[in-house]
Amino acid sequence: MTVLAADPYADLAARGRFLLGLNPLAKLAAPLPAMIALVFVRDLVTPLAFIGLAYAVLVAGARLTPRVVLLLLVALPAAVALLGFGMAVWADASRVDQSEVVLTIGPWTLYGGALVIGLATALRLAAIIALALIAGLTTTGPDLVRASVQQLRVPYRVGYTALAAFRFVPRFGHELDVIRQAHRVRGSHGGRGPFAAIARWWGYLVPLLAGAIRHAERVALAMDARAFGAHTDRTERHLVPWRARDTAFTVAFAAVSLVILWLLFPWAASPWAGFPWAGFPGAGFPWAAA
Amino acid sequence: MGNRADDTATGTPVVQVEGVAITHDGETTATPAGASFAVHPGEVVLLLGPSGSGKSTLALSLNGLIPHAIPARIDGDVRIGGRDAATTPVATLSTTVGMVFQDPDAQLVTGTLLDEVAFGPENLRLPVEIVLARTEDALRRVGLWERRADNPDRLSGGGRQRLAIACALAMGSPVLVLDEPTANLDPAGIEEVYATLADVVSAGDRAIVLIEHNLDQAVGLTDRVVVLDARGRTVADGTTDDVLRGRAEELHALGVWLPVSTLAALALREAGWRIDPLPLTPDELRAAVEAADAPPPATVPAAAEGAPAATPPAPPAAPIEPVVTVRDLSLSRGRTRVLHGIDLEVRGGEFVAIVGANGAGKTTLLQAIAGVIPLPRGHVSVAGADPARTDLRSLSRRIGFVFQNPEHQFIAHTVFDELAHGLRLQRLPEDEVRARALEVLARFGLEDRADTHPFLLSGGQKRRLSVGTALVAGAPILALDEPTFGQDRARADELLRLLRELNDTGTTVIVVTHDMQLVTDYADRTIVLDDGRVVADTTTGDVFADAALLRRAGLRLPPLRQALQGSRHPALAGVTRLADLPAPQHDARTVRPAEAAP
Amino acid sequence: MARTPLLSTRVLLVCAAIGVATGIVGGIAGSLSLVVLATAPFLYGMLLGAHVLPGIIAQEVLRLPLVALITHVLAALVASAFAPMWIGRFLGTALLFGAIQEAVAAATRYRAWGPWRFFISAAIIGVIIAVVVFFAADLGKLEPWAQIAYLALSVVSPVVWTAGGLAVGRGLRRAGVARAHA
Ligand SMILES: Nc1ncnc2c1ncn2[C@@H]1O[C@H](COP(=O)(O)OP(=O)(O)OP(=O)(O)O)[C@@H](O)[C@H]1O
Ligand SMILES: Nc1ncnc2c1ncn2[C@@H]1O[C@H](COP(=O)(O)OP(=O)(O)OP(=O)(O)O)[C@@H](O)[C@H]1O
Ligand SMILES: [Mg+2]
Ligand SMILES: [Mg+2]
Repeated sequence: MTVLAADPYADLAARGRFLLGLNPLAKLAAPLPAMIALVFVRDLVTPLAFIGLAYAVLVAGARLTPRVVLLLLVALPAAVALLGFGMAVWADASRVDQSEVVLTIGPWTLYGGALVIGLATALRLAAIIALALIAGLTTTGPDLVRASVQQLRVPYRVGYTALAAFRFVPRFGHELDVIRQAHRVRGSHGGRGPFAAIARWWGYLVPLLAGAIRHAERVALAMDARAFGAHTDRTERHLVPWRARDTAFTVAFAAVSLVILWLLFPWAASPWAGFPWAGFPGAGFPWAAA
Repeated sequence: MGNRADDTATGTPVVQVEGVAITHDGETTATPAGASFAVHPGEVVLLLGPSGSGKSTLALSLNGLIPHAIPARIDGDVRIGGRDAATTPVATLSTTVGMVFQDPDAQLVTGTLLDEVAFGPENLRLPVEIVLARTEDALRRVGLWERRADNPDRLSGGGRQRLAIACALAMGSPVLVLDEPTANLDPAGIEEVYATLADVVSAGDRAIVLIEHNLDQAVGLTDRVVVLDARGRTVADGTTDDVLRGRAEELHALGVWLPVSTLAALALREAGWRIDPLPLTPDELRAAVEAADAPPPATVPAAAEGAPAATPPAPPAAPIEPVVTVRDLSLSRGRTRVLHGIDLEVRGGEFVAIVGANGAGKTTLLQAIAGVIPLPRGHVSVAGADPARTDLRSLSRRIGFVFQNPEHQFIAHTVFDELAHGLRLQRLPEDEVRARALEVLARFGLEDRADTHPFLLSGGQKRRLSVGTALVAGAPILALDEPTFGQDRARADELLRLLRELNDTGTTVIVVTHDMQLVTDYADRTIVLDDGRVVADTTTGDVFADAALLRRAGLRLPPLRQALQGSRHPALAGVTRLADLPAPQHDARTVRPAEAAP
Repeated sequence: MARTPLLSTRVLLVCAAIGVATGIVGGIAGSLSLVVLATAPFLYGMLLGAHVLPGIIAQEVLRLPLVALITHVLAALVASAFAPMWIGRFLGTALLFGAIQEAVAAATRYRAWGPWRFFISAAIIGVIIAVVVFFAADLGKLEPWAQIAYLALSVVSPVVWTAGGLAVGRGLRRAGVARAHA
């Protein structure tokens, strides 16, 4: 959904690419089993395999703008390298394979085993991100909302509220700029350092939210004035149907994921593998990988 | 104009408002307190009244938003197409009454023009073909069909307001209610919106209820005028001629704004001109003035007596040190170069206006001068300091900056603390802080609101407080960005009078604004920006005498200038400001046209 | 959704506005989480606490049933626009935190809105985070000081963020923003 941040309503004109023609829910659901499985995975090969799968699907089915190429080829690998190193630094040295010494600074030593563990965690996160990008790079907010209303039976009033919410984002960004300037001009919260910064941001919050809420109330009046919510449903010009190809994509993707997992069988000896809480954010720590 | 009102007056009204009093929840008094009027099919009704008389409230009750979406008690009778508005759902009423609000941004929901216009008909569960047919028709009528696939964000302000009109048209409602649809637009945007409304009116199938402060454009469309008094009771209801021409002085006394041409004609009558009937538009004023003879010479001395006030203040003989100097300033925002080599000087005690079309770089220039945005060193000097090197705290003692939206600027929880903030920053003793803050409160008429939260003030009070906060630190220079944005004419005028007073006591004032008449009425000097360059920098009178320049810079002539330019009367030919009109023959400055016209 | 006055368009859109503002905070927290994981993982609990904000502010401003849940979900959607990889995490956290806040409010039949009520939800959320993270992150294997810091931060952070959210909500009420809804 990175596209949304730039322009929530960008028209995905290039219809030739197959991902653009799929139901957003299919694109969200298909990689889900793989993403869940990845949380429990502890090796290096499985995440790499899923990154490969995600990239293959994206190259085949998404529009490859320079931005997307940059994201896939530069940003993500860089993040893996950085994260891998950072995690290695924090891994508990007494529990890793100490046969290889990579770096020694004073009393502190970075072992090869720690690096491997760090890299595994980073790759796992990267794989989850890559899989999420399948939907993220090829779905518009309005289509996701329509699909949620049409297939998931989300009340359309809530769905359209979400659409309006996406419109608020750029406007609030601009308002925030102005408020920051205004506070600077008032000479408020001068000073440097994290505490002054927190105090400063604190001062922006109430004016920003107050402005946001007033704006929201005006938008609500304008929507009511156009009969929003008059009936239990509304005419939908853009159908986002669930077609056979959506089922096919979802099933095929899940099947390929299973094959990869079956072939690599990555969960040999992790004590917490299969523990239900492991899907919670926080899983994926270096010490969890020992 | 007038004929349609007569033709239709006999039919059944689509909107019938009778003795309506509306009390917002939590309030004790009703505004409006007793409004009555009717709108017949195809008629254009202008609803006037002083600020706070309940016009917006009344508009919201016409499609049931009050009381259904905004809790309030309604006494009296609002009938829309025969239905009782207080008990009929908003959705049902919306097929009879379409609404266009003030802020174009706050009316957008979807991502393309087409989806936006279709949004209303879709909510009504109309079949897809009908939705599309209505959408196309509405977009064509406002001239936006070609841009149907665009994101509404890419439209100009005027374009977005036209889109809002299309959205209301697509609801199929025979009545459109517009609440100050042009309050936020620049001159070109206002012209666009009125051209669109004129088209809609000429088709003859829609009645329009228009609430508008910008009467100069509105009167051209209007069939009938309804006037509310300060408490929101109908005091006049009749044809445009009867009300605006016949009862102009009464409306003026009520605090209702009149077209500038009408105000000018009233002033000319005072000065002994025979102008009858009163003109409403610049064209009518021009015709009336050209047809009339200048008053007999007996009146000339009287006029001459008033002359010093009338001519723009001459530059003082001894050159005063410039307090703001800008030398060869170029600035980029994002990737585009916004200002190109700006050179200008402002001397102490001047009242300078900066004007220009949307995106000309006015805000950027003003913010650079006040040090609000980062700027290169060595190009700007404010009271001897370079904003690029001076920290904002000491800079705010030299120049006060006022943003468009006063709410953005408030950082304290009470009006008093808001004013005290700037003084406390200077580490003044608390009793001096108190004394000075109270003095400013008194000056701005806010004494009794000292403990109120700034957000709870009325719009006009917020604006005054924001000016006060900029002033209280003792800044000798005041820079204001569109101080009249979102304010009605009366409040705008009040604010500018206040600035004038400050200016008379030595404060240097720099304003950015789109309001040409206010510029001409108040500013000594006008700087015209076009595409990031200064294209004119001279006395206001000279700037507005140069029609070619204004057209090039995307500006419009102020109404008075439009009417009087090239007049055969030498006394009037150069006049652009109401204050420059010949002085009255009587000492009294009050407008008494009944006396002036025998 | 039935057409009850509770969920008028106005209430929905006010939720959206609060959701957008807090969602931006959540999005920033989400983007920071990679950095924090890479540099100082034990601070992670502090970031996670930021996700209590939508419900707290919505409940304090609107004081109506369901607003916490709706605001949470909208905030999660907005946050995922900033950090798309966390969409599942954002939605999961939103539903969990929203449900807890709704449940505590429902237990007082949406009548009691004192600060203590909000801190009860905060404490419950804090304990849940601490327990979940303890197992998921296999804390037993950490150095003792890190374990203590981690657990303490996990419990304290929702409480701290709740206090912040309440202060914002009170600021808004004082500014007259929510008067008509009260
Ligand atoms: N939601 C509200 N709650 C309480 N009071 C309100 C509300 N909206 C308006 N009022 C009050 O009702 C009165 C009429 O306001 P309204 O906005 O209708 O005036 P108006 O004639 O449109 O003024 P203006 O020309 O300034 O737009 C004012 O005193 C205003 O403070
Ligand atoms: N923060 C920004 N980032 C990028 N571009 C900007 C920014 N602010 C302004 N601009 C651009 O700079 C140009 C000049 O903007 P500026 O706001 O100074 O114009 P203005 O004369 O004040 O216009 P308006 O009458 O619409 O207020 C415009 O084209 C605008 O799009
Ligand atoms: Mg109004
Ligand atoms: Mg500007």
